[in-house]
Amino acid sequence: MTADHWGFVLAAYGIAAVALGAYWRHLCRREQELTEQRSHIPPGAGHPGPKPASRSPLQ
Amino acid sequence: MRGEQTVSRALGWLAAIGLAGGLVMAFAVAPREITQGNVQRIMYLHVPTVLVAYLAFAVVLVASIAYLWRRDPAADRLAHASAEVGVLFTGLTICAGAIWGKPTWGTWWTWDARLTSVAILFVMYLGYLLLRGMIEERERAARYAAVLGIVAALDIPLVHFSVYWWRTLHQPPSLLKPGPATMSQGILAALLVNIVAFALLYVYFVAKRTAVLRREEEALA
Repeated sequence: MTADHWGFVLAAYGIAAVALGAYWRHLCRREQELTEQRSHIPPGAGHPGPKPASRSPLQ
Repeated sequence: MRGEQTVSRALGWLAAIGLAGGLVMAFAVAPREITQGNVQRIMYLHVPTVLVAYLAFAVVLVASIAYLWRRDPAADRLAHASAEVGVLFTGLTICAGAIWGKPTWGTWWTWDARLTSVAILFVMYLGYLLLRGMIEERERAARYAAVLGIVAALDIPLVHFSVYWWRTLHQPPSLLKPGPATMSQGILAALLVNIVAFALLYVYFVAKRTAVLRREEEALA
């Protein structure tokens, strides 16, 4: 009867679960950060006007 | 946006159900292999991850060609996301293979043609991701990465056929070969369920990563 080496099986599946779970969490966190970032930007802030330094003295 | 989130959530649930089904098939339905014993159950992780990695890098190839042809940022985002997920799956393949190799071959690693060509594949796509990160100008990064994405894909057939072209310790493929599969029905069914489950997980990850990349670009614009 061949030895089963359950420890190796558990290690392989365990590492896979941790790696896939970590990547999934990373994506969810990044998504959350972008949503929060978007909610902090006031409406119309996406198109900034000319910088004060670039204006002519007549303005 | 809401529709996109609903699709992503549905894909996530499908992948989770698929993976749960895959685990049941691998541990409760598939029979114990006669020569290797239960350690052979690592195959239900090792083979699907490498097949999905092939798929991921094939998507990188197609999306890179599409980007160079049309200069469509969506194609570039797809290539980027697919390469990232492909690297993750290749890393898991190497890891699971090493863990399976120790009790069956007596070694974690050997510089055999199959293992070496997979390691080269992993390093090349890791380089692809590093290249993208190193170049600040978006269009230039996309162009260089697309060229690398096409060149790196040449290693995929090399990995697959390495077991035929060179003398290796690694066994020849049980799937993706001419003729019927050389395994029992129970083992084949468990393997196919896991392949579908990991393919669903790949689609879910790529969809999520592509959406994140698009939103990052919008935030920078």
